[in-house]
This record gives sequence, C-alpha cells and structure tokens, in this order.
Amino acid sequence: MTTSATVTLERLTKRFRSPDSREVVAVDDVSLDLAGGSFVTLLGPSGCGKTTTLRMIAGFEVPTSGRILVDGHDVSRRTPDKREMGMVFQSYALFPHLSVFENVAYGLRLRRRSGSDLRAAVERTLELVNLHGLGQRRPSELSGGQQQRVALARAMAIEPRVLLFDEPLSNLDAKLRVSLRSEIRRIQQQLGITSVYVTHDQAEAMALSDVVVVMRDGRVEQFGPPDEVYRRPMSRFVADFIGRANFLEAEVVAVEGDSAEVAVLGQRMRVPAADGQRVGETATVVVRPESIRLGSGELRATVRRSTFLGPLVEYELLMGDAVVVAVDPDWMGHGLHGVGEEVACSFRPDQAYVLPPGQSAEVAEVAPVDPDALAPEG
Amino acid sequence: MAIALAIAIGFVLVAIIWPIASMVSVSLTGEAFAVFERYLTPPQGQILINTVILGIVVATIGTLIGFLFAYVQVRVPLPRYLKRFMHLMALLPVVSPPFALALAAIILFGRSGLITRDLLGIPFNIYGLPGLTLVMSLSFFPVAYISLSGLLRALDPALDEAATNLGASRWRTFRTVTLPLLIPGLASSFLLLFVEALADLGNPIVLGGNFQVLASRLYLAIIGQYDLLAGAVLGILLLVPSLIVYFVHRYYAERASVISVTGKPSGRPAELTHRPTAIVLAVAALLVSLLVLLMYATILFGAFTNLVGVDNTLTLKNFAFVLFGYGVEAVTDTVLLAGIATPIAGLIGVIIAFLVVRGRFFGRGALDFGTMLGLAVPGTVFGIGYLLAFNTPTEVGGVTIFPKLTGGAGVLGGAVAIVLVYIVRSAPGGLRSGAAALQQIDPTIEEASVSLGADQSTTFRRVVLPLIRPAFLTGLIYSFARSMTAISAVIFLTTPSTRIMTQQILNETNAARFGNAFAYCVILIVIVCAAIGVLYWIIGSGTRIGRTADPTIAARST
Repeated sequence: MTTSATVTLERLTKRFRSPDSREVVAVDDVSLDLAGGSFVTLLGPSGCGKTTTLRMIAGFEVPTSGRILVDGHDVSRRTPDKREMGMVFQSYALFPHLSVFENVAYGLRLRRRSGSDLRAAVERTLELVNLHGLGQRRPSELSGGQQQRVALARAMAIEPRVLLFDEPLSNLDAKLRVSLRSEIRRIQQQLGITSVYVTHDQAEAMALSDVVVVMRDGRVEQFGPPDEVYRRPMSRFVADFIGRANFLEAEVVAVEGDSAEVAVLGQRMRVPAADGQRVGETATVVVRPESIRLGSGELRATVRRSTFLGPLVEYELLMGDAVVVAVDPDWMGHGLHGVGEEVACSFRPDQAYVLPPGQSAEVAEVAPVDPDALAPEG
Repeated sequence: MAIALAIAIGFVLVAIIWPIASMVSVSLTGEAFAVFERYLTPPQGQILINTVILGIVVATIGTLIGFLFAYVQVRVPLPRYLKRFMHLMALLPVVSPPFALALAAIILFGRSGLITRDLLGIPFNIYGLPGLTLVMSLSFFPVAYISLSGLLRALDPALDEAATNLGASRWRTFRTVTLPLLIPGLASSFLLLFVEALADLGNPIVLGGNFQVLASRLYLAIIGQYDLLAGAVLGILLLVPSLIVYFVHRYYAERASVISVTGKPSGRPAELTHRPTAIVLAVAALLVSLLVLLMYATILFGAFTNLVGVDNTLTLKNFAFVLFGYGVEAVTDTVLLAGIATPIAGLIGVIIAFLVVRGRFFGRGALDFGTMLGLAVPGTVFGIGYLLAFNTPTEVGGVTIFPKLTGGAGVLGGAVAIVLVYIVRSAPGGLRSGAAALQQIDPTIEEASVSLGADQSTTFRRVVLPLIRPAFLTGLIYSFARSMTAISAVIFLTTPSTRIMTQQILNETNAARFGNAFAYCVILIVIVCAAIGVLYWIIGSGTRIGRTADPTIAARST
C-alpha cells in the first residue's frame, strides 16, 4: 500500500490554561524519531501528556512550540483533515447514522473514490478486520469488539501515512482486549503503516510495540524496545510502571564497564548497571519478582503472605528488613510455602539492574499482581 | 399497587378521556355535519389554512432560533457572561404568561409603536401573521433550544474529530455528521412547536387581528356566541392534526435519544474555530437575546407607567390595582389553585411513571398514551370538552354519581374543574421526567429492598421515591410554571368566583388597560421565579442523588 512514513517530533510542547487560569504544561519539550513502519506506544499514567501528544500529531491540538515532521515535511500547521493520518478513537466515534459500509467508505468518498472501486476497497478493508458481510449493519447492531474493528477499518481504509490509536481497547473486556491487540499488531505488520498507540496498560504496550515511550508529567522518561526498557529501566518510575519491581538498597563496591559489584542483602554480586555509578555510594538494585528463585540459595526469607494465582504463586517475603515480592511459576514442582515458613532463596544477579544514581530506595512497596497481566496471549 | 393502578386509570378515564369523548360525540351528530362543511369550505375554510400556515412558519422559525441558540451555547467559544445572558433570555419566555410578549410587541411595533412609529416613522401593522410569527417564535423557541442543546452536548466530540481526521472539511463535517445526527432532534422540535403553535390561544386573540386561526375562532364561538356545536367541530379540526403530529414527534424524539452508540464521550466539546462563522452566529443569537430583553424591559417599564409610550409618568397604581385592589383575588386564586394542582399532578405523574416503567400488566402502553393526551391535545379542546362533560351532573338511574363541575354553580364555584385541568395538563411532564429517572435506576435496587423484607409500597416510599426526588421536584417546578401561565383550557372554565391571572391579563388587554396587564405579567413572572427559587433551594439542600431528568434543569445548571 503506502510507503512507510517516518515521523519526527521536534521539541514538542503544549501549554494549556486551566479553568482557574493557571498554566499547565501538558507536554514538555518532547523529541522523538519514529522509524517508518514501526509501532510506537506512548505509555504512562493519566495526565502524563500521552494523549495530548497524539492529538498534536493528529492535528486536534496545536503545539505551543515545536514541530511535527512527516517524511521530513513540517505538518505542524496543517489542519487535521489535510494530514492523511487515520485515527482510532477511544469511544470509536463511529457515525451512528451510517451503516458499517458507509462508515468505512466515508474517508474514501472524500477522496473521490466511487462505484466498484470504492466497493472493492471497502470490502477488502472489512475482510482485513474479519468483518466480511457485516457492511449493511448499523454500528449499534454490533458488539463492542466488532465496533472496534469497524473503527480500525475506517481509519485504515484511507491508506493513511500514519495510524493513530487513542486507548482503543480500554472499553473492552480483558479477553477481547488481548485478542484484538494481537490482531491490531498483525494488521499493522501486514500493511507496514507507521503507528502511534496511546495506552496506560503496560502489558498492551509490551505486547504491541517495537518501541515503548514511557511518559511522565509531560516528559519522555525513557524509550526503547520493550525488552530493553523492561530489563534496563532508567528510573524507579519506569521500573515500577513497566512490569513489577523490587527495589533493594545496595552499596557500590566496584565499577567495571557496564556492570558494578554491589553489596546487597549481605551478599556481594556483580550486577549490570547504569552509567555513572560511584564506588562507596548507595545505589538501588531492581529485582523482578520472577527472577527470585525459591527453595535453594544462600538468602533466608520469611513468608509474610502467599497468594495462589493458578499459573503462579505470589509470595511476600521478609528478607532482613526488606519486603520483597517473588513469584513462583514452578509451585507444582516443589510445593507451596505457608505463611511464617522460612525459605531459602536466591536471585540471578545478571537479571537484576542497578538504577542510575539518585534513585532513592525508601519506599519498596509493590502492587499486587494484576491477573490480567498474566493472561496468555490469545 | 392495585390502589395506585385504580387511581391512575380513574384519573385518565374521568379527567382526560371523558371530556375528549364528549366533544367527539357532539361533533359526530347530524347537525355537526353542516358545521364541518362550513369550516372546511371557503370562506371559513381559510381559518384552517391560516392555522396550518401559522403552525409551519412558527415551527420553522422557532426551531431555527432554538438551534442557533443551542449551537452558539454549546459550540461557539464566547465569554461566559454572554452565554449566561443568552441562556437567561432563552428561558424567560418559559416562565412568563403566554401573551406577555404579544403585549410588548404591540407597544413596541404596533400602529403607534415606540419603535415602528416614534423611532422609525414607518406605518406597520403588527396584527396578523407577521406579529404572530414574531411573538410566537420568540415564545416557543426555548422548547427547541432546550432539547437541541441537550442533544448537541450529548454528541461525542470524537465524531467530529473522526470525520476531520478522515479528511472532511469543517463544513463537510457539519453537513455529513453533525447535521444528520441532529435531524431527528430538529424534526422533533419542529413538530412540537407546530403543535404548540396550533394550540396557542392567547397570542391569536391579542395579536391576530383579521388573521383568524382555529383556536381563536373556537374561543369566539364559545365565549362570544356560546355555540358549543361549532366549538366541538373546531375542536375536532384542532385535535386531529395535533394528535397526528404529536405522535410523529414522539417517534422522532425517541430516535433522537439513541444517537450515541458506544463508549464514554472523550475529549472536550468540539468548538467552532472558524472565526467569521462564529461571529455571525454569535451576533445573530445576541440580537435575538437583546430583542427578548427589550420586550421584557417594555413589560417591566409598562407596569410602572400609566400608558407606556403615551404617558410615561412613573406610577405604582397598576401594582396597587393588582396587589391590593380588584386583582388581588385573581392572584390568590391562581396561586392557590395552581398550588393545589402541582403536588397532585406531580404525584400522579410519578405513580403512572412507576406503573408504566416497572409494572407488568396489560395496557401499560394505553395508560402512558392516555396520560400523554393531556399534553398532546390542545388546551382549548379540554376547555370545551370539560364544558360538555361536566356542565351537568352525571346521573345513573336518578342517582348523581358525578356532580356539576363547571360554571359558577359548579362544585366550589368551578374551582375543581380548574384544578383538574391544571393536573391534566401538568401530569404528562411529571410522567416523562419520572419515567426517565426510573429508567436510570437499576431494578435490582428495588429487588434488594424486597429481598430484605420490604413490601412494594414500602419499597416505593423508601427507595424509589428518594432516588427520583430530583426529577420529581423538577417536575413540580415545571408543573407549577405551566399551571400559572396556562390559559387555553382554563379560559373556558373561569367563573366570577374563580378568577385566574392569565384571564385577567386578557381582560385588561381587551379593555386597553395595558398598565394593569403588564403589572399582572410582572407579578406572575415574579411568583413563578420565586417558586422555582424555593424548589431549587429544597433540591439543593437535599441529597444529591441521580441526575435530573428535566433538560431545563440540566441546561440551567451549566
């Protein structure tokens, strides 16, 4: 279809005036390069500026400063109808007075397509989203998942240079969310359209994206491939937001290249580390719950709480004075541990990570497991 | 449940169906045929044509003004105080007597009008179609404004954005998305205004001149000639189109209410960013608002002068006449009768709403329909229907089972008939707002109450009623305002011992004592506004549960 477009955000900033006429910086100096054909997710809690960024790309918000380039051309001053970007809305925004067919044909008619050419294009798009034969229905006669597919088809039908998604799955139930997200990914890869996807669901972001952009307070906190962001978070915020994390206080003993020798929980170990570590200073080590192994090892812990979740068991452990969360996927192999029980455990240092300096380790609270995040890919 | 049902059915049969049926049966007699012929052929046939023309013109212009106000209110970025001002001007006609604007129009634009003659020096005949169009459009556009602004607010702004995103220009988006979604609402407003214009009695009497319409001709037939047969025939001519149009309107209104499909509406309302269009629309709405303001200022000023435009000396004698002289009886009678009717109408409305929404009996639809007739049927039809049905006691086998209600010799000097008509006209509003509120309450809440051991009436009293309280109280406001400003049915039922303010306004107008008429208008508006204030205070001091179902409240609070 179209050749994949690159999108560049250059020092994009958006300031609003709030009702009590205070100035709010919704997006603060964001610069990003989106490779052609890539699937990029803007991820963050509500109010982090992700939706405003997306709406600026679409043209619904005018940047206070900065530029948006598509294939090197500045589109910042173009009105939304001249940008050739398909958008999928959170509320779907299907035209309720038009049939499914006419919804999908809407953008094509504006591009002067008609007759059998138009019909073929609409049918092809409906087939792509597995809605073949539902063209004559009204949007209100479709299920939520089907409506979502129509919204996707409508945005794709115009063969946009960029596809934009504004939390498109947030109104669907968990199972449908999982199956639709892999469908979105399949279609996007098939067509190779550069896509920007806004979500606050980290599992969705990881499942979909080539690149995850974690945002906070209008700024980009970190961006990169999902596995890299997961493995090498650059802040407590990122580590906490992407997946789940234990934060352990450690002392840097030695620094060698991209790893450091640290003293943590009374042990010395070599752990991959962010740049800038200094010997003798306190550092924070991120340990993912799944890299803690129970049943053997030189660490001693007391079980404070145990939650049975089916595929895995979640334990809250007391190690010294640190509370650590661990998950055990192999509970069938070595049985369950009861509350108060003393267990031996260990974690693999090469799966942990030392955060950049300046990330204090005071609050080591970990949220309970979200069962949705464990649901298998459908 | 059984008692409630009996009350509801009895009310609909006696107070609504019987009068209408009486009128219909009179119009089906042999002598009526000739009268029908007279009013369906020239020259008298012109009256029917006039009525339809007036209805179409007023409905069109009123809907357009209503849409203009709604669009400016919801979509055009304007300073807050300007929007509030326009909103207030759009609601003033709702709380004022039906021909207050007609009086102001005569003073301002009449043969010796302040503007037409004194300012512009042009001879202009306000009487007839032009004057009626002006006054009735301004009186009725609030109905269109309230429903259309609610509809516009409910439109998901993402719909506009989706169209723009797909490449549609602003105008194209408006034409292919916004407008089609509003068509049911526009159609419903048009039809409702058409029925209102058809039924309006006050304005055609005051401003009609030689331009006769069915309602004013009917008034003449009854009050001038006491020709009940002609009245019944004219009533039928009025009834049939009103009913048809009203139920077509209902069909569209129901379609208009299901415009949004899914999901939570996202984002901020789409504002009109095209400056020239925005300025033109805002200026147009502002001019209409200023016209309304000018007319109400005239009413206020007129109430304090001897004869506004001729003798502008300030005086309090008009108010003395209304509040301490001859008029005081009308004020107290009207407030008393409307005050009695309001809670009864509210309660009946809620009970019927509950039966219709939650009941599981055969004929729910008929009960709903029967109650709604109180709104759909022109007030004049009820006026003549009551005269025909209740002017003599009803006897079965020599036993009086129903006393004479109308006329000075009727029960309590005819007051019962007036209260009954007020209730009939107001209960539909209570039914609709009550039904809307009930539909938002999950039935399992009531099931929970029953499972805890409460019987049905306890559940209604302790659970349902508190939940729909805001809607109920809003319905009361509506009901009181409606009763206080009613004229079309009541004018046939007033007696020397029951004086009604709206009818007194008409008398003073006919006697060219404008000062007194204006003073009545001002006092009536003040009373209605005070009642609204009190009810708001009650609503505000109560628990804030649920949403108010009445769009006027939703519109007012924003």
